[in-house]
Amino acid sequence: MTSRRRFLRDASLAVVGAAAVERTSLAALPDAASRSDASTAKPLAPPNGRPYRPVATLNGWTLPWRMRNGVKEFHLVAEPVVREIAPGMQANLWGYNGQSPGPTIEVVEGDRVRLYVTNRLPEATSVHWHGQRLPNGMDGVAGLNQRAIAPGQTYVYEFEAKRPGTFMYHPHADEMMQMAMGLMGFWVTHPKDPSFMPVDRDYVFLINAYAIDPGTRTPRVNEMTDFNLWTWNSRAFPGIDPLVARQGDRVRIRIGNLTMTNHPIHLHGHEFKVTGTDGGWVPPTAQWPEVTTDVAVGQMRAIEFDATEPGDWALHCHKSHHTMNPMGHDVPTMLGVNQREIAKKITRIIPDYMAMGETGASMNGMEMPIPENTLPMMTGTGPYGPIEMGGMFTTLKVRQDLPRDSYRDPGWYRAPRGTVASPWQGSTSALPSTHRPPASAGKTGVKS
Amino acid sequence: MTSAHLSPMTAAVSTSLTRNATASRAHRRVAYTARRARRTPLVIAAIATLALSGCATFSDDGGFAPVADATQQRLGKSAVWARDDAASQALAKQRDDLLARPLDMDTAVQLTLLNHRGLQATYAELGIAEASLVQAGRLPNPRFTFQRVQGGGDVGIERTWGIDFVRVLTMPLASRVEARRFAQVQAQVTQAIVAQATLTRRAWIDAVAAQERVQILEQTSLATQAASELADGMARAGNFSAMRRTQENLVYADTAARLARAREQASAAREQLARQMGLWGQQLSFTLPQRLPALPATRPASADAEALAIRERADVRAARAALDATASDLGLTRVTRFVNVLDTAYRDNSATGSASERGYEISLEVPLFDWGSTRIAGAEARYRQSIDHLADTAVAARADVRTRRAQTLAAWDIAEHYRTTLLPMRQRVSDEWLLRYNGMLASVFDLLTDAREQRDTVLGYIDATSDYWLADAAFRESLGGGMPESSLSRSPTEATAPVASPASTAPSAPATPPGAPPATSPAAPPATSQPASSHQAQRHGGGA
Ligand SMILES: [Cu+2]
Repeated sequence: MTSRRRFLRDASLAVVGAAAVERTSLAALPDAASRSDASTAKPLAPPNGRPYRPVATLNGWTLPWRMRNGVKEFHLVAEPVVREIAPGMQANLWGYNGQSPGPTIEVVEGDRVRLYVTNRLPEATSVHWHGQRLPNGMDGVAGLNQRAIAPGQTYVYEFEAKRPGTFMYHPHADEMMQMAMGLMGFWVTHPKDPSFMPVDRDYVFLINAYAIDPGTRTPRVNEMTDFNLWTWNSRAFPGIDPLVARQGDRVRIRIGNLTMTNHPIHLHGHEFKVTGTDGGWVPPTAQWPEVTTDVAVGQMRAIEFDATEPGDWALHCHKSHHTMNPMGHDVPTMLGVNQREIAKKITRIIPDYMAMGETGASMNGMEMPIPENTLPMMTGTGPYGPIEMGGMFTTLKVRQDLPRDSYRDPGWYRAPRGTVASPWQGSTSALPSTHRPPASAGKTGVKS
Repeated sequence: MTSAHLSPMTAAVSTSLTRNATASRAHRRVAYTARRARRTPLVIAAIATLALSGCATFSDDGGFAPVADATQQRLGKSAVWARDDAASQALAKQRDDLLARPLDMDTAVQLTLLNHRGLQATYAELGIAEASLVQAGRLPNPRFTFQRVQGGGDVGIERTWGIDFVRVLTMPLASRVEARRFAQVQAQVTQAIVAQATLTRRAWIDAVAAQERVQILEQTSLATQAASELADGMARAGNFSAMRRTQENLVYADTAARLARAREQASAAREQLARQMGLWGQQLSFTLPQRLPALPATRPASADAEALAIRERADVRAARAALDATASDLGLTRVTRFVNVLDTAYRDNSATGSASERGYEISLEVPLFDWGSTRIAGAEARYRQSIDHLADTAVAARADVRTRRAQTLAAWDIAEHYRTTLLPMRQRVSDEWLLRYNGMLASVFDLLTDAREQRDTVLGYIDATSDYWLADAAFRESLGGGMPESSLSRSPTEATAPVASPASTAPSAPATPPGAPPATSPAAPPATSQPASSHQAQRHGGGA
């Protein structure tokens, strides 16, 4: 698998300096590292500063920093990027440092943080540090807290990362348009005390959504509701890497929602607890066991669980249309319509026509040409056949034999004999009775 | 002046010279006539001419050969005049052979020349004119009367031997007039053939185009019928409301009405063609090609069209003949110089103002005569009037040709635009709809609606192609029926609309113009000729 190879290669992350032309003026600034590879980078172990256990950004990476006089200096560059949403589809987006979403910023509670923000977009922007306690003038709302950063300008933000927890960053200038283009990033402030709520694996991703018409590659930025690409870190299934865990690992998943709707995130095979919210960590007594947690608009959630059950467990948004890639919202229901005779007529006019939808929308793995740069509505193949998913869907892969710090994809789970659902081979008489009620039963007492 | 005016006049002048005479007197009179004749060079010349030429007989073909030659030269077709039953049967056989196969435009024209009874009637004019000519060229029969008068025991014998002396005197003039008239009839018959050929061409183009329109509407009807039936099924399955279903039913019903109208028009156009070819009865079951001929691959140039028209057009030739006749009637023979009626050699500078001068010349030269010896007052004026008439006719003819040529070129440009730009774009849209359907991004109703919407583009293309061929037919006619061979050569393949189905031709056929994408449409995607599915294969089930 491609992503597995990328994973290994990512040990040596390519770091590219800012363009030469800006070297002079930006000489005093830290390098603006850049990355365009959409695979999940190996967690970035902190080379200096306070120790912490780094997070793994799903299909993303953590921004390196420069330590200068005890201040952690980051350099974000807002710029147009091309993001592979999934193999076979690329989107013209806006991002930071080569990617949408931008790199994850990891700091430790109490760190002094200085962030240089260079605007290479065609319009003014700003950065709001979503959820942080900071001086009012650093909050990033253009016009309200600062002047907007004009194209070509570099602004500097500086504050202390006061509260440990889960955060996001995103523009607060022409906000709807810039977020519709994918301009956003994740932020994690680790606790000063490494023994506070320790986990073995700490995954982070942002929820985002795009309206990219079939056959196009730039989002419709004025869309308010009718999005057709539901993504995690600007990736859609089958482009989202699996979350892997060694059996027994304590796993945390941090999720931030920067779409315009809520997303009930559902994990199979395990119950988890919501351990963190926008406002911080949840006291153990108040942690709430769930298998689906709703992440509302603009919210962040951290969920934790012990990965006790080996297997390939689905992890997805439970809005079923969010686990679909682009689909025709105006396509009428063909269910139950016999098209055989009509199909013959249609084939005389449109020879490549094939009747679909009579028994449902499943394609049963059939391959047909579709518009360029467009993801199939339902796709993906597992060990037992078509998965027929898209959008916000991936897997949690729990393995007994996975090395402790390995993030490689272990492949499909091999279920022990007799533990996979299979066709009934015995006689039907051995089946329990279905006990159907008589046909008239449903009519009694119901009046419409 | 036509011979029709002359003939009665001649008859009136030729009063009988018969008078009562004895045999000897009669003999002397003849001798006298002969003596007079010796003194009259005109008469001698006339008689000598008649004797030498020996033209006072009927030709084998009734004078049709020049007509047939001219027809062959102008139309590339043979004209046959059936002058007896055997010839008629032979023609009928030829006609039936031609009818056995689908009639292309040329065959339809050929059939017309063989079969059109109106034309045959026109051919008979030749026979009539020739009879007049022959008669005018024959010496009048001498008349001999013998009268025996008996009265009072005296027997008087009166013998008269006379001849139409005036007619003999005027015979050369009458022959010349009749010869001129005969040539004129030949020209008129040729012109009638050209005109009838043009009518047939037009009718053929209309009939084939109308038939193509029916085919397109049948395709459309099939698409709307499928949508309508599908909507019925959708309503039965509970997926469509009565409104949505009825909307689809309505579209089908509307198409049925359009189709009926198109069929009626095709039927009328076919009748018109049958009429122009002179067909009836069992002959009416002729078949036509499925499609109009392909547009010429290159823009028809026909640069020397004006020169050709000046040479070939019937009106110019008639004006020229009238000029010659005037000169002849005036007895003008001494040519002093030639002048070009069109004044100066015409050079065709490109209309766009570019440097490409074609450099062909059109000249229409006529002689000027020595007027010094003529005694006829106003003769020069009459001659010059004829010249002006000829010049006027030529200028009008040239304007007509230029107009027809411009119309032909414009029609070609439009049809070519349809062929190389609009149809491929239309096809591309259909391809994209199918891709969207495959990706469940569009419904089968979208496909069927698109198939229906193709109709207008394809009908537009048929109209444009038909317009081109109609303009071409008019252009040919304006040239006097003929056209340079280069322009006549025509692709044998049938071309026009993707009748089989706009979508069925998938990424091939008209969707892929032979040349590069036309530069005229910046909107045309550069990969127009590429099948949409080949360079972007996203496929279902192709993940993980
Ligand atoms: Cu969702």
